[in-house]
Amino acid sequence: MSKSTKKLGSLILLTIMIIGSILAGCSNSSETSGKTKDGKTAITFMFRGQPQELKAYEATVKRYEKSHPDVKVTLVQVAPDQYDTKLKAAIAGKKIPDVFFYNPAQVKAYVNSGVLKDITEYVEGSENVNIEDIWEKGVAKYRFDGETLGQGAIYGLPKDLGPFALGYNKTMFEEAGIPLPDKDKPYTLDEFINVAQQLTKDKNGDGKSDQFGAGFNIQWALQPIAWSNGADWIDETGTKVTIDTPEFAEAVQWFADQQNKYKITPSIAEAQTLDTYQRWMKGELAFFPVGPWDMATYAEQLKFEYDLIPWPAGKTGKPAAWVGSLGIGVGATSKNAEAAAELALYLSADQEGNQALVDAQVQLPNSVTVAEQWAADTSIKPENKQEFLDIINDYGRGFPAEKTYTAEWYDEFFKNIQPVLDGKMTAEEYVKEAQPKMQKLLDAAIQQEKQAKK
Amino acid sequence: MKTTSKLYRTEQRYAYLFIAAPVIGFLIFAMVPLIYSIYGAFTNWDGLGSMDFIGLENFINVFKDEYFYKSMFNTIYMMLGIPIGIVLALLLALALNRGIPGTNTFRVLYYIPVISSIAAISILWQWAYNGDYGLVNQFLAIFGVEGPNWLQNTSTVKPALIIMAVWKGLGYTMLLYLAALQSVPKSFYEAAKLDGANAFKSFWHITLPMVKPVTFFIIVTNIIGGAQIFTEINVMTPTGGPEYSSASVVFYIWQKAFGNFQLGYASAMALVLGLFIFIITLIQFKINEKNSFELD
Repeated sequence: MSKSTKKLGSLILLTIMIIGSILAGCSNSSETSGKTKDGKTAITFMFRGQPQELKAYEATVKRYEKSHPDVKVTLVQVAPDQYDTKLKAAIAGKKIPDVFFYNPAQVKAYVNSGVLKDITEYVEGSENVNIEDIWEKGVAKYRFDGETLGQGAIYGLPKDLGPFALGYNKTMFEEAGIPLPDKDKPYTLDEFINVAQQLTKDKNGDGKSDQFGAGFNIQWALQPIAWSNGADWIDETGTKVTIDTPEFAEAVQWFADQQNKYKITPSIAEAQTLDTYQRWMKGELAFFPVGPWDMATYAEQLKFEYDLIPWPAGKTGKPAAWVGSLGIGVGATSKNAEAAAELALYLSADQEGNQALVDAQVQLPNSVTVAEQWAADTSIKPENKQEFLDIINDYGRGFPAEKTYTAEWYDEFFKNIQPVLDGKMTAEEYVKEAQPKMQKLLDAAIQQEKQAKK
Repeated sequence: MKTTSKLYRTEQRYAYLFIAAPVIGFLIFAMVPLIYSIYGAFTNWDGLGSMDFIGLENFINVFKDEYFYKSMFNTIYMMLGIPIGIVLALLLALALNRGIPGTNTFRVLYYIPVISSIAAISILWQWAYNGDYGLVNQFLAIFGVEGPNWLQNTSTVKPALIIMAVWKGLGYTMLLYLAALQSVPKSFYEAAKLDGANAFKSFWHITLPMVKPVTFFIIVTNIIGGAQIFTEINVMTPTGGPEYSSASVVFYIWQKAFGNFQLGYASAMALVLGLFIFIITLIQFKINEKNSFELD
């Protein structure tokens, strides 16, 4: 054998080794065996969040590792806008993380395709965490019995609940000498417009308003108006799109009229959320939505006093609001389901961990008892934090698409709504036109669900 | 002459080895997924597990899907930036080729956007396009023009994206042209001058034909890249813009695949898009062949 052939042989060997190690790198050894090299139980945790949240979660995981010395958690942080893509890629690649965040709207799809593990026994049998103390409505979002959501086995725990309340600029009201809104009695739609009109002003006298009543984004603020007006996007059976009712059209029209008829919002070109958000921050808006995740920023940056009230109510006279949530699930293929479920519980309900997140003012306490104490604590702004709890307990609802297989039909509603907001089309015309399109997509989603169940 | 020396044969083997690395990489990371997605296009694959063969159903639906046409139209519309970019880049290259002072500085300035991350640039431009506080509208306000809310308006969102794309690609195209211009033999211009050609004539009859291979290359690569525009749209208009007026085909495919569990349908659209790009490119090559010339 010549020298060069030997060299060639060794080169080929080297190449094979490199390629082999690249391929091996794709499948992390700990994932296949469920153990690290030194024999610890290995679990992965995929999550996302704002910087303060990430820190709080890291600390919680460290504490978990300390109390479970035989478990090693690998953290996988993903940028929020890439999270869904990455999670779905992981699922498609059969590399489901042991513990991961996911949207409650995906419970059905993930359960049907065997992505999520039923963790009921771990949750109910846990010694450290009392399930009774976590928001029942929060846990219900992750229950599924194979047919109906909200009942049956537990497929996840809420990371948090996100009730979306209405905030108002207290300082602005006081300066204008307008009586403060009642936190127990919502405005009617007309009263709301009336107050907002009084607060829409041209302060510097240049002929253009520079202080406005409101500035809502339809995607996040139409729900309370429509619901409280007795309308909804979908019927109870989850099979029919119901936006073509008079109540619904009325709510949409009212929403568009805020701008076109009553002129209580910044003009069309300025209606972008970012802008109205900035205007609210600068104290130019009287009303603006507030979620628990906003509290830290508002406490730090607002130069005025604000507080929470219920959303204005339509025909039914009762306010409505949505409650968002993000879930913590356990992968069905996890080799260490028990340790993974334990971590999920820890993240959702660990007292200290929860406290850290609450202290960072980015979420509500997951424990009902802690939440009640927190709401009563007047040292934390805003004062009427009870409104958040009222939304959860009394009048909050999940998003319309939360119970359908995909959200495509719901997204369709907002895709072409701009002409209505611009006043170029009436709400009545729009809902008539959009209903069949949305119904078609909903039918497709139902069909898709049936197929996936097979 | 047939070379069969030992050295030659050994080197040949090494050559194959070196070639093997990218080829194997291509097979594993491009060919296998490609074939898989072609198969996926004929199924109702949801990306989670279920994957049943459904024949041509996806393709029939693609051609009945109004959002597919809309996103396709948006994609083609946004390719208007390609000729604009080419003309601007050529003009810039001509200017810089004259050896004016500061050429290197300009070259660097124009090239910075090219090497910057597209996601970062998109965020910057998103701010610049903001209706109230954006740089663009503040600049327009100097001239007393009240700018629109660029990204929220159906009639301005595509031009806004085009402007950004032109700005981003300018440096790269310019550099290619600069290299091409510098390789045009000076003697051609001298000869033309002696024959009494003016500047425009020598540009038209010498410069343009001489840089044609580069122009061809730029057009082909830009159209392929333009057909796949995604990141800037995803960052700047995360919902596909007002009335879906900035959504590109790839954006729509991505939404279908990762938002709505329709990987099969998305694969079918991707296949249609791939064929579209292939056919367009093929046509370009045919046209180019017809018009090509050779210097002796």
